[in-house]
Amino acid sequence: MRYIKLPSENFEKFFKSLEAWGTVYAPVKKGSIYSFQEVHSPSEIALDYNRTMLPPKKFFFRPKEAILRLKNGRWEEEVEAEPMVLFGLHSCDIHGLKILDKVYLDEPADPYYKSRREKTLIIGISCMPDEYCFCKSLGTHFAMDGFDLFLHELPDGWLVRIGSVRGHEIAWENGELFEEVTDEDLANFKEFEEKRSKAFQKELPQEGLADMLDLAYNSPVWKKYAEICLACGNCNMVCPTCRCYEVCDRWVDAYKAVRERRYDSCFMENHGLVAGGHNFRPTRLDRFRHRYYCKSYFDPSAGYNCVGCGRCDEFCPAKIEHVKVLEEVRGSLK
Amino acid sequence: MSENPYQTYDARILEVKDLTSREKLFTLRFLDPEVGEKFEFRPGQFVIVDIRGFGEFPISICSSPTRRGYLQLCIRKAGRMTKFIHKMKEGDIIGIRGPYGNGFPMEEMEGSNLILVAGGLGMAPLRSVLWYAIDSGKYEHIWLLYGTKAYEDILFRDEIIHLLKHGEAMNCSVKLAYEVESPSCIYLERGFSDRVCRGVVTDLFRGEEFDVNKAYALICGPPVMYKFVIRELLDRKLSPGRIYMTLERRMRCGIGKCGHCIVGTSTSIKYVCKDGPVFTYWDALSTRGLI
Ligand SMILES: Cc1cc2nc3c(=O)[nH]c(=O)nc-3n(C[C@H](O)[C@H](O)[C@H](O)COP(=O)(O)OP(=O)(O)OC[C@H]3O[C@@H](n4cnc5c(N)ncnc54)[C@H](O)[C@@H]3O)c2cc1C
Ligand code: SF4
Ligand code: SF4
Ligand code: FES
Repeated sequence: MRYIKLPSENFEKFFKSLEAWGTVYAPVKKGSIYSFQEVHSPSEIALDYNRTMLPPKKFFFRPKEAILRLKNGRWEEEVEAEPMVLFGLHSCDIHGLKILDKVYLDEPADPYYKSRREKTLIIGISCMPDEYCFCKSLGTHFAMDGFDLFLHELPDGWLVRIGSVRGHEIAWENGELFEEVTDEDLANFKEFEEKRSKAFQKELPQEGLADMLDLAYNSPVWKKYAEICLACGNCNMVCPTCRCYEVCDRWVDAYKAVRERRYDSCFMENHGLVAGGHNFRPTRLDRFRHRYYCKSYFDPSAGYNCVGCGRCDEFCPAKIEHVKVLEEVRGSLK
Repeated sequence: MSENPYQTYDARILEVKDLTSREKLFTLRFLDPEVGEKFEFRPGQFVIVDIRGFGEFPISICSSPTRRGYLQLCIRKAGRMTKFIHKMKEGDIIGIRGPYGNGFPMEEMEGSNLILVAGGLGMAPLRSVLWYAIDSGKYEHIWLLYGTKAYEDILFRDEIIHLLKHGEAMNCSVKLAYEVESPSCIYLERGFSDRVCRGVVTDLFRGEEFDVNKAYALICGPPVMYKFVIRELLDRKLSPGRIYMTLERRMRCGIGKCGHCIVGTSTSIKYVCKDGPVFTYWDALSTRGLI
């Protein structure tokens, strides 16, 4: 890794230099909610945001998009991608994208996701956890890769980690904006990380978690929460690692149709429905449990399917808490 | 071929044949000979059928890779899209992408006995195995145990009756169980009293001796069938690793993206479309919800 320092007074120029790469999107505050929006000046950015409602997956895997267009009886493909800069991603969201990459870039790669991913610059930013965050328990509170540049807040600027060749290029081209990292910067970086580490309020103990959840398949806790759950699917929409989609053909006019996909939710009754009306997950209990198992699946090479961003808790109308459900399920094993 | 895995290839319907009142057999050929040439598959794999402007659905390939130049799909009229394809005629064009899934491990099973257990529409993917095994001549003996509702529901009836008559010469024993009695069934039962009976598919195991160290079982049928058939096989001491079954789930993409076919729990998640649709009984024991 190469480390450089971006002094506060150069931040604006640095931001402007990014516009040469592509459209810049960053967290913006609207009412009480943050979301990634197109920005043109650093003053629009909420640098100290906690989390956006929709994760950055929306830039690569869209809530709704055409995958094929039918013209004269033939499918035409449009793998268009605009160069983008996603500015200010938190470490958990970078890990979320890595999990989505495993799905969408795995052969055969999804061409829409892939081309957008290739044309996007990722710039991470350090953050302070709030009451919903539990990324530290999952090891996703620090990103070691998956970004081009990562900015760590210092009292008088930013400690920048360079994570890719593209990141090097940006630093190289704007060499005059950066300085060498000093011992004082290092001390500040260390202090920030220590303070941050202590700020986590929520914890999900890992010991034997995957096995214990599996063993607790018939736990009454699943049932208790399935009854509170509204099956609205909000938790799926906001989750940076949920990626189910549904496909539907739609006619535009008598000669043209599109094959569209849109986010799907495993809380919807027809998610597991097959022809003839047989449903592999007929009850809300089946579907509730399925989501938790899918998120808690432990892949030895990639970790859990949850990055601890806390979105599902913050945006659940029934106030169901992810960690609490898992802890209670585990606790119900006697 | 296209880089886009969602693109489908034009295939012409060469023939449409009524198999029963609900199932039709579609014989297809790719319009582009190059695509047809490159399209290689193994028994147990499936394709996604694309009716442009109406949607896509997964269907098992029911012809054998030993018979090249065409592709056969046995499609049951089950809902919106399958109803649509049932109205299509010879010469019509549909889209095909695939083949998908793992298929049966045909090479690994060479030299062994195959016990094919089919229930209803489960006959479709197993027909691919059946003809592959007969044509290649690489298997010692093939049993086909086929359970059907009524005489009228027997899929590939001509082939089944042909094999009842002449199968032994091809190292193949066919046994048939039907549930609803009819004059045709009684006639069949009289002709092949040791191989046709009224009952369910597990009844066909009665009186059969399989050398379990040299046998593999391949099962396909409705969800309820698996438990009973597997119990029958385990009672005969067939190793769970030699029991293969092919499963069905809701599928959209067929390539591990859309998430619909995911089964399992925190310790084992499987995609039916790419890790399957063929699984062993070991897989079923370690992945909850598989069967
Ligand atoms: C691996 C595999 C192999 C198979 N092999 C065979 C085979 O060899 N032969 C065979 O006959 N069948 C086979 N099937 C089953 C076959 O895929 C279904 O019968 C077929 O999908 C039914 O489609 P349908 O539209 O006619 O039925 P429907 O019941 O209308 O729809 C099927 C599914 O699509 C959904 N759906 C329907 N309309 C829409 C819409 N407008 N928008 C979104 N969703 C919609 C339904 O909710 C349902 O889940 C196989 C399935 C799998 C998974
Ligand atoms: S957001 Fe909450 S209420 Fe809605 S489906 Fe998820 S857990 Fe249930
Ligand atoms: S399950 Fe909840 S906490 Fe975990 S990644 Fe998804 S939204 Fe974030
Ligand atoms: S069918 Fe889409 S993931 Fe299996």
